[in-house]
Amino acid sequence: MNLLDLVLLLPLVGFLAGLVLPRASEHLIRVSALVFSLVTFGVSVGLGFGVRAGEQFVTDVPWIRSPNIHYHVSVDGLSVWLIILSTFLTPICVAISWKYIQSRVKEFYAFLLLLELGLVGVFAAQDLFLFYVFWEISLVPMYFLIGIWGHERRIYAAVKFFLYTMAGSMLMLAAIIFLYNRTGTFDYPGLMEMLSSGRLSLSGGEQMLLFLAFFIAFAIKVPLFPLHTWLPDAHVEAPTAGSVMLASVMLKMGCYGLVRFCLPMFPGAARSCAPWIAVLAIIGIIYGALVAMVQPNMKKLVAYSSVSHLGFVVLGIFSFTQIGLDGAVYQMLNHGISTGALFILVGYLYERRHSLFIKDFGGVATPAPWLSAIFLVTTLASIGLPILNNFVGEFMVLQGSAQANYTWTVFAALGVILSACYMLWLYQRVFYGAAGQEVSSHVHDLSAREFAGIIPLVVMMVWMGVYSQSFLPPVSVADGRVLDQTKVNVRFQVKTPALKSQTAEVARVR
Amino acid sequence: MYASLVPTSAEMIRFLPELILTVVATLFMVLDPLLGRQSRHVYGHFSILALLGAMAAAVYVYRDPGAAFSGMLMVDGFATFFRVVVIGVGILTVLPSYRYLDREDAETGEYHALLLFSIVGQCVMVTANELIMIFIGLEISSIASYVLAGYLRDDRRANEAALKYFLLGSFATAFFLYGVALIYGMTGSTNLATVRRAILGGSLGSAPIFIGVAAALMFVGLGFKVSGAPFQIWAPDVYQGAPTPVAAFLSAGPKAAAFAIFLRIFLTAFQPIGPGWEPLVWVSALASMTLGNFAALTQSNIKRLLAYSSIAHAGYVLVALAARSNVGTAAAMFYMAAYAFMNIGAFAVVSHLSGKGERYLKVEDFAGLGAKQPGTAALLSIFLLSLIGVPLTGGFFGKFYIFKAALDSHLVWLTVLGLLNSAVAAYYYLRILVMMYMREPGEAASRIQPLTPGLRAALVLPALGTLVLGIFPGWVLDFAGRSSVFVR
Amino acid sequence: MNAVPLSWYLTLSGVLFTLGAAGFLFRRNIITVFMSIELMLNAVNLSFISFSYAFRRVDGQIFTFFVMVVAAAEAAVGLAIILTVFKNRNTLNIDDLNSMKDEYQPAQPEEASETAPVSVP
Repeated sequence: MNLLDLVLLLPLVGFLAGLVLPRASEHLIRVSALVFSLVTFGVSVGLGFGVRAGEQFVTDVPWIRSPNIHYHVSVDGLSVWLIILSTFLTPICVAISWKYIQSRVKEFYAFLLLLELGLVGVFAAQDLFLFYVFWEISLVPMYFLIGIWGHERRIYAAVKFFLYTMAGSMLMLAAIIFLYNRTGTFDYPGLMEMLSSGRLSLSGGEQMLLFLAFFIAFAIKVPLFPLHTWLPDAHVEAPTAGSVMLASVMLKMGCYGLVRFCLPMFPGAARSCAPWIAVLAIIGIIYGALVAMVQPNMKKLVAYSSVSHLGFVVLGIFSFTQIGLDGAVYQMLNHGISTGALFILVGYLYERRHSLFIKDFGGVATPAPWLSAIFLVTTLASIGLPILNNFVGEFMVLQGSAQANYTWTVFAALGVILSACYMLWLYQRVFYGAAGQEVSSHVHDLSAREFAGIIPLVVMMVWMGVYSQSFLPPVSVADGRVLDQTKVNVRFQVKTPALKSQTAEVARVR
Repeated sequence: MYASLVPTSAEMIRFLPELILTVVATLFMVLDPLLGRQSRHVYGHFSILALLGAMAAAVYVYRDPGAAFSGMLMVDGFATFFRVVVIGVGILTVLPSYRYLDREDAETGEYHALLLFSIVGQCVMVTANELIMIFIGLEISSIASYVLAGYLRDDRRANEAALKYFLLGSFATAFFLYGVALIYGMTGSTNLATVRRAILGGSLGSAPIFIGVAAALMFVGLGFKVSGAPFQIWAPDVYQGAPTPVAAFLSAGPKAAAFAIFLRIFLTAFQPIGPGWEPLVWVSALASMTLGNFAALTQSNIKRLLAYSSIAHAGYVLVALAARSNVGTAAAMFYMAAYAFMNIGAFAVVSHLSGKGERYLKVEDFAGLGAKQPGTAALLSIFLLSLIGVPLTGGFFGKFYIFKAALDSHLVWLTVLGLLNSAVAAYYYLRILVMMYMREPGEAASRIQPLTPGLRAALVLPALGTLVLGIFPGWVLDFAGRSSVFVR
Repeated sequence: MNAVPLSWYLTLSGVLFTLGAAGFLFRRNIITVFMSIELMLNAVNLSFISFSYAFRRVDGQIFTFFVMVVAAAEAAVGLAIILTVFKNRNTLNIDDLNSMKDEYQPAQPEEASETAPVSVP
C-alpha cells in the first residue's frame, strides 16, 4: 500500500464512517468529514512531492480474473495535480457547507466524500474498466448533491446531468468492451504498449468510431459547445459545494480523458478531427462569453464563463503542440481554482442575500470590503491578468494554438477580451454603486470560517500565477509522453523516407 | 431390458431437491385443513427450511453430476446454477410474504404449497434434458403460478391478472408443444442431444423447413414465457394485478427457468440452425429493450413500471442469446442471478410501502421515503442503481458481460442500441430516486409501518447479493463460464 | 387407416391448431377462448399420435397422455379462475377485463369501473 492507495482509501473510510455515525450528531459528522478530507489532502501533497522527485506510485492487483480486470492505479505529472486539486477542494467544500447545509447533514458529507473517492479514482485509474467504474461512481453522489440540496429546479437539473453523462458513458463503455475483445486487456499501459509496438493495429474506420465514442463521452463532460446544455442548469441548481466540485474537478474529468485516452490511443483519428474540434472549441469560447455577458443570474454567468474557459483547454489539447498541451493542463488547474473561488464567493453572497440575481445587489463593497477585495482578485484571475494564474495557462494555450493555426488564435483571443468585459461588468454591478436598503441590512463581511474557505484559493491563484515552475515540469514530462505517443503511432501509419530518418534519430537520442 | 428403466439410487439422489420440495408441498396441502389459524407462520418457516434444504441438496448433488432417468434429466453446472437461482428466488419470495399475507389476511398453507410446487416445476425445467420433461416442468411451474397470481380471490385485479396469465400462458404452451410435436416427428426423438445429431446428420429429407417451423413455434412459446417483445402483452397487467410478492416471484423465478430452457434448447438442439434463428432473437431483443424502456417512461403505477422494466431486461438477456456463444450463455446466467436479486428487492420495497390492500402504488407515493425510512430508501436505491446499471452493482456487471458477449459475436449495432437503451432506462428509475429523496413525504411515506424481521431479511439479503455480484463477480462468473458449455 | 397418408393427419392437425389460435385471438367469450386453447392442445396430440403411428413406436402416444393430464390440470385451474372472475364481475366478455391499463389520469378509474353497467351473458 503506497500513498496513492491511501488517498483512495481515506475518503472511502470517511464515507463509511459518515454512514455509521448517528444521524443526530451533526457536528461530529462535519468534524469527521473535515478531518478525513484534510488528512487525505495532506497525504496527496506528499504524493505531489513524490511525483516531483520522480517516485513511482503503482499498485496493480487483480480484481476479477475473467474478464481480466485489475485494480491498477498510478500517478504521473498529468494526474497528480488533478488529484491534489480534488483533495484540496474537498475540505474547502466541507468548510463552506458548514452552516449552509442544515438538512440531511449525514448524507451530504457522505456523498461529498464518495464524490472525492470517485474523482481521485478517475484520475488514478490505469485500467480502462476501473476508470469507467470510478467515472460512473462519481456521477451518483453528484446527482444526489444537486437533486437533494439544490435550488428550485434542482430535480430537472440533476436528472438532465445524469442522463447526459450516462448517454455519453454508454458509448464509451461500448468502445472499452470493443478494445477488450480485440486485445484481451483493459490495462492502459499494456494497450499503449501494444499500440506502439504495432501488435494492436486498428483500421481507420475502427479508430475513428472508437475515438468518437470516447470523445463524445468526454466532450459531454468538458462540456464542448453543442453538448454543454446540461452545465448551466446543473451549476445554477447545485448547492455551492456541488457547483465547486462540478466546475473545478468534474469538468476536468472530461479534459483529462481527452489527454489521457483520446489523443494517445487514437492519434490518427484525433489528428484528422482536430480542426473540427478546434472550431467547436472556439465557438464554445465565444458563445460562452457572449451568453455569460447577458446573464442576469450570477451563477449562470459563472457557468457560461466555464464553457468559455474550457474551450481554451480543448483548443490547447487539440493543438498537438507541447506548449499548447502544457497550457491546457495548467489551465484545467487554473480554472479549477479560480472558478471554484468564484462559485464559493457567489455562494457567500447567496447566503447573505438569498438571491443569485445581479439586480438584487449593488454597492456590496461598502458593507463587505474584504469580500469585495477577494472577489476582485478572483475576477482578475479569471480574466487572465498577469501574475495571476489564468494568464499563464491562457497564454500558453494561445501560443500553442498559434503554432498550429494562427487563425484559431485570433478568434480565441477574442474570448479573453470578452471575459474581461463580462467579469468586470459583473463586478461593477454587484459591488459598486450605492448600497440599497436590502444589501446594507443583510450583507456583512466574511467570517473567520469563510475566510478559511477562500484564502487558500487566493494563495493558490497568486502562487500558480507567479511561480508556475512548481507545477509545470511534471506536467510537461507527461504531456511530452502523450505527444510522443501520438507521433509514434502516426509514424507507423505513414512511412515516408523523411520520417524514417527522423525515427532513427529519435531512437538514437533515446 | 427394463432394468435400465428402474431408477438407481444415484439417479434418485440427483432428483433430491425436487423430491424435498414436493414432499413438503404435499404435506402442506394435507395439513392445511388440519392446522388452525394460529399456526399460519409455520408454513413460512417450513418453506424456508425446505428451500434451504433443497438448495443444499442441489449443491450437494453437483458433486456427482450426470444424467438421471434414462437421460431425461441432466444434473450439470448449468442446471445446478439455475436450480440455486430459482430456489433462492423462492426464499426471497417467502420472506416478504409473511407480512403480505398477514396484512391481506390471506390463507398461508396453500400459498406456500403453490409456491413450492411452482419452484419444483422450475427445477425440473432447468434440469430437464428432453423436450417432454421440459414441457411438464413448464406446466407444473405455470399452473401453480396461475393460481398464485390470482391468490386474492376477492380482488378484482388479481382475478383479472390470473385470467390473463392463464389464457396467454396456455396459449404459449400450446405453441411450444406444437414445436415439440414437429421435432418429434422430424427427428424421432425429443432428447435434445439426439435432436441435434439428427439435424446435423442431414437424414431429414424435406424436414429442414419443418425444423425451422418447430424452432419458430418454440420461439413464440418461450418468447411469451420470458415476456420478450412482441409477446410481452400479458406482463404489465399480470404484474400489476398479482399480489406484489407473487409479481416479484413471477418476474424472477419462472423467467429465469424459461431463459434456462430457452438457452438449453436453442443452443443444444437448434445450435446447427443458429444463423436461421439469430435474426429472430435479434429483432425480439431490440424490440423488447426499446418497447419496455419507452413504455416504462410514462407509467405511473410502480408495479406496471417494473413490469415494463422487466420486459426491457428480458431484452438484454435475449441479446446474450443472440450472441450464440458460451460467453453469451454465461452472461445470461449471471444476469438472471443479478436480476433476481435486484428485482425481488425492488418489489419487496413496493410491497412494504403499498400498505393494506396495496393502496399506495403510484410512483408519487415514494415521495419522502428517504426522510421517513432512510434504511429502506437506501436499500431501494441500491436496487434501482443496479437496475440502471451503475458500477459496483450486479446489474452493471450483468449488462457489461452481456454486451461484451454481443460484441464478441460482432453484434455491434445491437450493442450500441442496447447501451443507449439503458441510458433511456435510467430516466424512469431516477424518477423513483427523485421521489424518495427530493420530495416532501406524502401520505404513503407518513403511514409506512416499521420493517418486520422477514421484510428486513427480504431487503438486506438481495442488497448484499447485488453488491457482492457487483464487487466480487469473479466466482459466480467463473462458475457460469464453466457451466455454459452445452455442446462439447 | 393405412390408406390415409401421414401428411393428411399432419395437415388436419395444422388446420385445427390454426383454428384454435384464430379462435383464441378473435373470440370474445372467455369460455370459448379457453376451448380454443384446448383445441390447439388436441391438434398437437393428433400430431403426436400420427407420428407415433408412422414410426410404429409407442412413445408418441405416451406423450399424448402427458399432454392430456396436463391439459386436465390446466382446465381445472383455468375454470376455477374463470369462475372467480365471473363471480366478481358478472361478465364473461374478455373485453370487459380492462381494469388495469395505466391510470395516468388523476380521475378515479376504480370507482368508475365499480359503477359500470353489468352485462349478463
